[in-house]
Amino acid sequence: MNRLPTRRLGSALALAAVALALAACSTQHYPNTTFTANTDVNVDVNALWNRILFMGTLVFIFVEALLIYVVIRFRARPGAPVPKQIHGSHVLEIVWTAIPVLILIPIAIPTVKTIFKTQAPAVADALQVEVYGHQWWWEFRYPQLGVVTANELYLPAGKTVNFTLQTRDVLHSFWTPGLSGKRDLITNKVNHLWYTPDAKLTEAAFNGFCTEYCGASHANMRFRVYTVSPENFDSWAAHQKTEAMGSPALLAAQAAADSAARRAPARAAVIPTPAPAPAMAAGYVFPADKMGAHTIPKTPIPASITYDDNLLAQGDAARGRALITNPANMAKASCLTCHVIKGEQAYVNDDVARGPNLTHVASRHTFGGGLFPLDAAHLARWVKNAQIMKPGATMNTFGVGQYSPMMKANVTVGLTDAEIADVVAYLLTLK
Amino acid sequence: MATAALDTHDAGHAGHGEHAHYTTTGLEHRKIAIWALIGSECMLFASLISTYLVYKGRSKVGPWPHDWGCKTSNVIGKTAEAVQAAGCAAADVMKPILDIPVTSQSTFVLLMSSLAMVLALEGVENAGKAGYDKWYKGSKFWLAMTAVMGATFLGYQSYEFTSFVHEGLTIDTNLFGSSFFTLTGFHGTHVAVGVLWLMTLLFIDMKRGLKGKTDVLLVDICALYWHFVDVVWIAIFTLIYLIQ
Amino acid sequence: MATTAAPAPAYAAAHAAGEQTGLWSWLATVDHKRIGTLYLWTALGFLFVGGIEAFIMRLQLMQPNGQVVSAELYNQLFTMHGTTMIFLVVMPLSAAFFNYLIPLQIGARDVAFPRLNAFSYWVYLFGGLFMTIPIFFNAAPDGGWFGYAPLTTLQFSAGLHIDFWVLGLQILGVSSLAAAFNFITTIINMRAPGMTLMRMPIFTWMSFVVQFLLVLAFPAITIALFFLQFDRFFGTQFYEIAAGADPLLWQHLFWVFGHPEVYILILPAFGLASEILPTFSQKPLFGYNVMVYSGIMIGFLGFGVWAHHMFAVGMGATADTIFSMATMLIGIPTGVKIFNWIATMWGGNLRFTVAMKFAIALVALFTIGGISGVMHSSPPTDLQQTDTYFIVAHFHYVLFGGSIMGIMGGIYHYYPKITGRYMSEKLGNWHFWLFFIGMNMTFFPMHFSGMLGMPRRIYTYDVGQGWETFNLWSTIGVFFQAAGLLIFAWNFLKSRKSGERAPNDAWGAGTLEWSIPSPPPEYNFAQLPVVTSRYPLWDLKHPERTADIAHSAPDQMTITDSHAVPMHEETERKSAKDLGIPMPFPTIKPLFAALFMVIMVGGLVFIHAATLQVALAVMISAAALFIGTVYGWLTSPLE
Repeated sequence: MNRLPTRRLGSALALAAVALALAACSTQHYPNTTFTANTDVNVDVNALWNRILFMGTLVFIFVEALLIYVVIRFRARPGAPVPKQIHGSHVLEIVWTAIPVLILIPIAIPTVKTIFKTQAPAVADALQVEVYGHQWWWEFRYPQLGVVTANELYLPAGKTVNFTLQTRDVLHSFWTPGLSGKRDLITNKVNHLWYTPDAKLTEAAFNGFCTEYCGASHANMRFRVYTVSPENFDSWAAHQKTEAMGSPALLAAQAAADSAARRAPARAAVIPTPAPAPAMAAGYVFPADKMGAHTIPKTPIPASITYDDNLLAQGDAARGRALITNPANMAKASCLTCHVIKGEQAYVNDDVARGPNLTHVASRHTFGGGLFPLDAAHLARWVKNAQIMKPGATMNTFGVGQYSPMMKANVTVGLTDAEIADVVAYLLTLK
Repeated sequence: MATAALDTHDAGHAGHGEHAHYTTTGLEHRKIAIWALIGSECMLFASLISTYLVYKGRSKVGPWPHDWGCKTSNVIGKTAEAVQAAGCAAADVMKPILDIPVTSQSTFVLLMSSLAMVLALEGVENAGKAGYDKWYKGSKFWLAMTAVMGATFLGYQSYEFTSFVHEGLTIDTNLFGSSFFTLTGFHGTHVAVGVLWLMTLLFIDMKRGLKGKTDVLLVDICALYWHFVDVVWIAIFTLIYLIQ
Repeated sequence: MATTAAPAPAYAAAHAAGEQTGLWSWLATVDHKRIGTLYLWTALGFLFVGGIEAFIMRLQLMQPNGQVVSAELYNQLFTMHGTTMIFLVVMPLSAAFFNYLIPLQIGARDVAFPRLNAFSYWVYLFGGLFMTIPIFFNAAPDGGWFGYAPLTTLQFSAGLHIDFWVLGLQILGVSSLAAAFNFITTIINMRAPGMTLMRMPIFTWMSFVVQFLLVLAFPAITIALFFLQFDRFFGTQFYEIAAGADPLLWQHLFWVFGHPEVYILILPAFGLASEILPTFSQKPLFGYNVMVYSGIMIGFLGFGVWAHHMFAVGMGATADTIFSMATMLIGIPTGVKIFNWIATMWGGNLRFTVAMKFAIALVALFTIGGISGVMHSSPPTDLQQTDTYFIVAHFHYVLFGGSIMGIMGGIYHYYPKITGRYMSEKLGNWHFWLFFIGMNMTFFPMHFSGMLGMPRRIYTYDVGQGWETFNLWSTIGVFFQAAGLLIFAWNFLKSRKSGERAPNDAWGAGTLEWSIPSPPPEYNFAQLPVVTSRYPLWDLKHPERTADIAHSAPDQMTITDSHAVPMHEETERKSAKDLGIPMPFPTIKPLFAALFMVIMVGGLVFIHAATLQVALAVMISAAALFIGTVYGWLTSPLE
């Protein structure tokens, strides 16, 4: 009964644990590891963690070894005398009251230091990012740059970024394990978090997660963080600020630029040459091949959504744009009542929009709260029935004849599969 | 056996056929239980009062407990900025919604009821003794007085509630409404339970007369509860009404 | 293993003593031992419910993008797993031991308020069913066991899910509070002569601390739930976003309850381990006084640390520091307990019964939970840990490694006292090893999945996140645990009839409960014992063991042979009536009072499920019946 395989098993487990702990340092196998030196804040946190882990391991080994020793040494033996009856010892009690104190003090002091260091206000010239939590996606705004985007966050390497965290509905929590600890998004409260991504991270992709349970699709509320070089960041931000491709506002701007280009040489009495392509400098986009497998979503498509991918080739962006922007189609394609496409007719602004800003949606690699890769096949199924694609999603089901779990009815006025191909073709132009 | 005397069977009888069990402290079980209950109730009211205080300044729309001078109807459902912008006519100026003079009266009544409760307990303790046969020294009169004063307090409270509702402040108006009505409502419910308890004791007193050790305990635990409810009200009155 | 003569057949003894049997005797019982047994059976039933919920969750998470259950069902499963295990399993299992053991350990014949005790049990049973049954209709609570507002408000949770949760917890709160008042009174007022506070068995001491925690902590959640209930049913705005509500109000109130609740869950298991370890070490508990004080200290400090559950909400550096330091302080009395347990075993004659193995496992595993607890007492590191699987690992080491291991040890230890028969040690060993291995296999990898970025409460995760291996291990471990649980169930059921018969003193323990027959007669003690030391039974049988501790008036010691074997044989032929011991009358009123109260409170759901009129009709009629029943209860004599 007392041959003690427990204890041997215990030490085997402990060894396995250490081996696993060593393996845990590898970002290759564990892409979301918290044990990184990617930000100034996380360097401090890890220094603290290492110290606590060291103390904890000491305590673990000491206590478990003592326990194992006692269990082996004092096991009942046949004919053993009655044990000496000891009721206590003041000296020992004082000793082992002191032991935890001595262990805790070297943890407590750096804890307090790190608390005040990491919670001090961010430096004044930090990049400001506003984070808004929505059920179940992330909105990111760069107020200094006039950029509004969703689910994918671009950060310039080496520059301190100060997040202002708010929620539009229930509580969420903003966490990028590879970069720093989390901070909750609390209703009717503004929270802050800052860190500085290491200057060497000029092309790195990280996963982010919501870590406060927020309802049906809490698990599907993910995001990506791309740390990029400051130049690329500026290029990306400059493009994100522009109006949407094909929007009246952009066309007008282009026309103005065109006529200016035509008139200017005329005034200079130079032979007119064809104007260059409109100043639609494609901004920087994080290269897909640098994302790494862990940031490319592989969520399976629910079997109940069928869509013939051959239709996608016939999708026409102009028809798609008309479906979305023409008020006559409002009944079956009411996209703009919840989404903003900068430059197009606006029914809502970003403060009340229930869905992500779509102005440059095609410049993103993922959508749906980071749940799906952004490609025609996934977009088509999403438009057809987002509520099946993502549990609890509040976006309308647009596929005609589709069952909407939210409305508990089939959609009667909606888009045909061919029309969906048009819409998708249009969305994919929104680079 | 040394334990023989502890055997409940031999321990004699007290009161109305109930066995006086051996107890470690010599106190009756119910007396200890009521203290535990009061401890628990302290935490209950502490939670309610802290909530009220936390929410005191958070209401997005009026009315607010102290700091306004217009008719409630000018404030209900309006933000502080809107009230300020609109201003109020000179004729409008009224007292804040929490009416301290009136509530002071009800507080006084409730305080006095504790005194009556003490006299009622004294009446039961001395039932049958010389001098305690006079009506104004007996437990019946003082139990009745305590209950009447408790009921008077409830009357004041229902007056306060109806006048608030009349002015437009209900539980769903704003955070102040929700936390105020819930806090004072919980207290009022406790007073109401106390009044029913007192009336039950009074009924027993009328029917067969309260006297003896068991009956003293019956009244004693009710008195403890009643004093507690009274003390809680002092806290509520101070923190909610007096401190602005 | 027995130190006393073989006793007469246990069940026969119960019959001979003129005790009632049959269904009615259980429905109407006011006997603390029977109520304890009811708690035990019911809580073990809910353990299976909570276990099945966990099992399904682990199947879902076994691989990335699992398709076993829907997101909606998964959310109900994890909510109900937490709620069930905390409120319907561990607390009631502790309550089973409170009921069964406290009167026996302090030398009393029952609890202070036997009928209130029955009421507590029935409220627990009906409240538990009220919360559990909706899962079969896809309507179970789905807001997480700590139900953070505003997710739980009508705006974001329209269905009945949260209604069942709010009302169910209110109902269970009534049960816990009523029981706590009862046990406080029992422990203060019903100790046998000579049983001073510092002579109480350590299990009773820890239970005593727990009752105070219950009494002082439950009001906070009661109020938080009332606010939510009023919001959902009556239109108040405590958690309404638009009204400017502060969701941290809920969190503060919840954790002011929630952290003491952790000690409510663990201290009874500590108490059980502190009974088991000395018994099988054949030594008294090391540092009894310090064990008592550290238990009180843990309970006291437990009220000052609640906000360490909220380091991520942005309370500010000062508040974070205060709560962090207070949390670290709790590590001191906890560490002292661990060392005292080891010192108790030091130099002993350790017999590795199943109960002893579970108790040792508690010391070993709780240590791990304690260490990870210190890791997130530091806010900067906690921000990388909170709401991840690291936390899941931590609290399962505390609640499974601590509470469940301790309680399982307690079941093996006290089963002979309750039934008069031993559980099979052979099956028990299988159970222990499957639990021990399975538990570590399931929860240890969660430390890694958490620190490697896996959030908790997610029904799915993508491939390539680095979590696959750990989750697979966790799921495999659950199979071990499930096998262990099934073996336990078989052992528990079959040993009632076929287990080896147990004498009064089944294990050679030192406390009063082992001086009376197994199972005890309804009146427990034919004569109330007079106690002169902490280990009255060792005073009698092993005076050398207790010679060093302070005794009061040794000449008054009345734990004579009459309380051991001869007494047992004497009394088993006598009923309470024969002995002239007045016992409380059995009564069905507490059951009906509980039933009507549950209907009265639960009837509120009809506001959302049907109409206000239906709800009012149900609630008013239930209230009338409740008041009538309570009137009948209060006016009928106790004994």
